[in-house]
Amino acid sequence: MRKLATLLGSAAMCALLATPLFAQEGNNSIVTVVKVTGENWFTRMEEGVKAFGEDHKDVTTRQVGPAKADAAQQAAIVQDLIAQGVGAIAIVPMDPSSLEGVLRRAQGRGIKVITHEADSLQNTLVDLEAFDNTAFGAHFNEQLATCMDGKGKWTSFVGSLGSLTHVQWADGGAENAKKHPEMELVSPKNESFNDANRAYTLAKEILRAHPDIKGFQGGSAIDVIGIGRAVEEAGLADKTCVIGLGLPKDTGPYLESGAVDSISFWDPKDAGYVMNILADKVLKGEEITDGMDLGVSGYNKVAVTKGPGEGVIVRGQAWVDVTKDNYKDYPF
Amino acid sequence: MSLSVTANDEGRRAGFAKRIAGFFRRYPEAFAALLILILCIGVGLLNPAFWQLANLFDILRGSVVRGLFALGVLMVLAAGGLDVSFSAIAALVMYAVTKAVTLFAPDTGMVLIFIMSAVGGALLGAINGVLVNALKAPSLIVTIGTQYAYRGFLLTFIGTALFMNIPPAMDHFGQWSLMSRTAENGFTVQLPGFVLVLAVAALATWAMLRFTLIGRAVYAVGGRPDIAERLGYRVSSVQLFVFAWAGMLAGVAGIIHVSSNRLANPFDLAGIELSVIAAVILGGARITGGSGSVLGTLLGVVLITLVSNVLILIGIPSAWQTAILGLFILSAGVFFVLQKRWS
Repeated sequence: MRKLATLLGSAAMCALLATPLFAQEGNNSIVTVVKVTGENWFTRMEEGVKAFGEDHKDVTTRQVGPAKADAAQQAAIVQDLIAQGVGAIAIVPMDPSSLEGVLRRAQGRGIKVITHEADSLQNTLVDLEAFDNTAFGAHFNEQLATCMDGKGKWTSFVGSLGSLTHVQWADGGAENAKKHPEMELVSPKNESFNDANRAYTLAKEILRAHPDIKGFQGGSAIDVIGIGRAVEEAGLADKTCVIGLGLPKDTGPYLESGAVDSISFWDPKDAGYVMNILADKVLKGEEITDGMDLGVSGYNKVAVTKGPGEGVIVRGQAWVDVTKDNYKDYPF
Repeated sequence: MSLSVTANDEGRRAGFAKRIAGFFRRYPEAFAALLILILCIGVGLLNPAFWQLANLFDILRGSVVRGLFALGVLMVLAAGGLDVSFSAIAALVMYAVTKAVTLFAPDTGMVLIFIMSAVGGALLGAINGVLVNALKAPSLIVTIGTQYAYRGFLLTFIGTALFMNIPPAMDHFGQWSLMSRTAENGFTVQLPGFVLVLAVAALATWAMLRFTLIGRAVYAVGGRPDIAERLGYRVSSVQLFVFAWAGMLAGVAGIIHVSSNRLANPFDLAGIELSVIAAVILGGARITGGSGSVLGTLLGVVLITLVSNVLILIGIPSAWQTAILGLFILSAGVFFVLQKRWS
């Protein structure tokens, strides 16, 4: 009898202890999960996440992410958030396919899932794309073609072959290059693993294997820095075209020297803000419709299409091209 | 008749294999040298563009940071331990020193920067040594722990953002070139001055292992710690010394990484550990301790750098590159096992 009482007592204690843990955050909390903490890109995104929280006092927003760009660590963070019982998760997946399972579990627990840069993901309610990725890749390639006079060898870089958007940009670029029969794609989709030094080493090796190469298309935001350094050291800044995703502040020195010709990006601050707008709308049960104005520049008339799963894909027209002349207008 | 010939043949073949195995046993460095030779000839046949000065310069450039790490690992390995925290030490030191110099004394000279990073790295390495001694735990476990601790400390307390404007002294040092060649297509290649740092570090490590008492103590402790102790070697001070030495080299390697990369990224260098240990092992050091040479280690480093630098040249698609690198290390491992069985 006494034993039973002890057992019941300890069970009650456990329940008491466990409840506050699960109820730590309410249904109005939106947590943004990024690929890696500390990269300038995601630091800028955090500004948007915080701004949304300040503009809307009825929700709490915060941003988390692994210390290393690693899909497994990102999945572990989502597991933690499920245990904490947050209202919505807005995630920028490192490797979308590897997150399907854990995001399905989150949805099963009633957590609203919003994604960014993952239009192949099934277990999401809304996926936000700053633009159509294939069109963005084609846009890079058009810039390259103009710079190269439509002829010569070119190559493409990706952060990793698992980063879907980077691969879509590379493929979109390759598809567009068919319009320019004299452009020849060599050694495509080099993996830089988001490391400038790796991008540098690869670029040098490509320069050696193809000394007459004319164009480089960067994938991860750090690729153009490494490629730019290789091109600059080889004394080829004027003879090659380097174009890709990049951040104005980081790429500034290479834009100045002409090693990098043009960078494009979407403002991660706006993307962070818009992800939270979408999460807020989903939490409040509001419908997201085609042609809607989300109140942020570049997202004034979004295209809404059906996604691969139950959810929808929201696309803006939010890319920005930056060259030597105007990079100083973007202080991040 | 024919039977006896076959037996004779086999005996001769076995003798030959034994002699070769014996040779590689005596000169374990020769294996890495042989692989380098085969690789160079193979790649050179597939793509003659391999034979150019630029390639040699790039391999040397690519070997410096890994080489400094490898010399540290060699010391720890020879003393019977294993260190996987060096990449975190390098990241912490390079980022902290770069940030401190930029914020407080942007005109600091390169010599002082190197001294600061060497001392900082040695202190962090000494923490490893103290922990290994105090906990009596395997050094692999201890350094896995400190690797996470150092990196966590870096990201939590020092910073996470990319640092583009490194101090001018470091920038100049990274750009310093010993030799410069311009090819006919306007291609400029440079032999960076910081390869000298690796040369100095290698000479110092070699002289120390070869001529000093502590060098003898390192091999003694790594080979048979019980006997070394009975002979009067102080195992704990030897361990402290090797980890501090590895830490010091890691700190210097970090500064070179930042100088040549022209940016300080606290996430860099993560994941390099296994390729460094592989380089030391390919260079003939036994993972169980008590052996290994500086020459072999350098050859191992050049081999690993070579493999990861020539795959584009021979047109291997990027999805295959890491797999090929893995296969290469694996086949080397198989060779070492077979060689032991033959002899």
